[in-house]
Amino acid sequence: MNPVNLAVNLGGLSMKNPVTVASGTFGYGDEYNHYFDISRLGAVTVKSLTLRPRAGNAPPRIMETPAGMLNAIGLQNIGLESYLREKVPFLREKNCVIIANIYGYTPDEYGELARRLEEENGADAIEANLSCPNVHDARHARGGALVAQSPEKVLEYTRAIKAATTLPVFIKLSPNVADIVEPALAAQQGGADAISLINTLLGMDIDPETRTPRLGNIVGGLSGPAIRPVAVKMVWDACRALEIPVLGMGGISSAEDALQFLLAGARAVAVGCMSFRRPDTALKVVEGLEAYCMRHGIVDINDLVGAMRL
Amino acid sequence: MTVLLECEITAHQDIAPGHKRLALRAEPIATVAVPGQFCMLEAHEGLYPFLRRPMSIERIYKDGISILYKVLGLGTRLLAHLPVGAVINVQGPLGNGFPLPQGFNRHILVAGGIGVAPFPGLAEAILQKLGRTPEVVLAARNDRMLLLVKEFSRMGCPVHIATDDGSAGMQGFASDALESLTPDSSTLVYCCGPTAMMRAVHGVCARHDVRCYASLEAEMACGDGVCMGCVVETNSEDEARRMVRVCREGPVFDTRDINWNGGVRP
Repeated sequence: MNPVNLAVNLGGLSMKNPVTVASGTFGYGDEYNHYFDISRLGAVTVKSLTLRPRAGNAPPRIMETPAGMLNAIGLQNIGLESYLREKVPFLREKNCVIIANIYGYTPDEYGELARRLEEENGADAIEANLSCPNVHDARHARGGALVAQSPEKVLEYTRAIKAATTLPVFIKLSPNVADIVEPALAAQQGGADAISLINTLLGMDIDPETRTPRLGNIVGGLSGPAIRPVAVKMVWDACRALEIPVLGMGGISSAEDALQFLLAGARAVAVGCMSFRRPDTALKVVEGLEAYCMRHGIVDINDLVGAMRL
Repeated sequence: MTVLLECEITAHQDIAPGHKRLALRAEPIATVAVPGQFCMLEAHEGLYPFLRRPMSIERIYKDGISILYKVLGLGTRLLAHLPVGAVINVQGPLGNGFPLPQGFNRHILVAGGIGVAPFPGLAEAILQKLGRTPEVVLAARNDRMLLLVKEFSRMGCPVHIATDDGSAGMQGFASDALESLTPDSSTLVYCCGPTAMMRAVHGVCARHDVRCYASLEAEMACGDGVCMGCVVETNSEDEARRMVRVCREGPVFDTRDINWNGGVRP
């Protein structure tokens, strides 16, 4: 008998605990199952899927930064068909709750991805990546604007995805905006069931010796513990304005970090690139949350959501 | 099976200026590892440096492994200070080892600088599993930076030396030394070192119809196929196969498969 209830409902998605992983930091789950039983997570969020396979950006794609990293992967992925054929059977056999992260070039493509994933039993929820910073060539102009930077587009895309599926739809937004509340409210207005916050912060790194950028795509997305305070603040901002729940992420490396997001208002959390350093981080967060609840006499983890004392 | 393991440092000494050998007690890794595989080392518990350091395995013993590394940046500087008896977290073994195909009557290992790191274990495997004695080309900036000359000689391997300044062996690059050994299609070459050196070695091999395997290095976050950060570009035109991961499909590649002009880091 578990004395602590860790189960949460994230916009219609039932999770046995509030911990998942950030898209792109955990592959399709099977890669890390030899370190721990991945079905112990509240959900597995898979690497961004596109309709067709993508080779991604030119190397180098990774650059270490203080307490974090820059990446400019460019959504290299196996594509929807290979995912359905090669990855879903394993995740279903493990009884994992699947959050399928999707990326499209048009609202229709997002809709088609969501529809196919539902029809083929490849997802329990859809997380729409409207905020990948790495799919544009930064050499040209200032790079393309992200959908997530335009509340009007967020509304349009969210509506298209909602119309295509009955699965819970989470909209993943970008921190590269002046006010996170505007796109968050647009997603809510479009029918989103939850908001995922935050994607990476745009950044770059230059080698003074060679005077060249260290990433092949020049700019990339910053993640890791360095961005955690920014993420906690954005989650707090969004949660105060929204009625729908928030999946909080950005630099979580421990249960203590995850608790900050819950206290700021997130209903659930995702462990990101810390899994690269320690593949079992997400499991440690699950265990640490339970230990925290027992230590503090919390019977239901939902009681901690938004429970920051002011 | 890849494991996350707390490993005790059993030896840690300088082998040349700025170069060290680290020996680790790591039986669960040693029992499954093969030459050419690598491990991800966590130099400390803090968050900066944030990522583990990928390092190829030098030799595999019954209950442990050894690793050669060059002290280059923050991670290796922290590692360099660790005393015998300290414990570090190691993830491994990762990646694919060197292929050991039959049918070649000459094996040449071509190393540039610290690129020699995976070759002692490979030389041992060629001696024991194929019953052949590999030749070794060791290239370095100068005589002081030459690594493992005695070790390979002790194994009975003919050693050919090239230095940039001519302070030992022939003056020239690793590829020049390889060329002077007149490899042919019955020769199998393995190479590891800086990109420019491997590109040149591949060029020599391509001209003489010599098969060549290279062990590549890349900036890498996870080491385990997940982050997609360590890719190199192949000559494949299939979008799903154009970028391959050094950690998962490599680190050892047939050099004919790699796009050496722009597909690898400079």
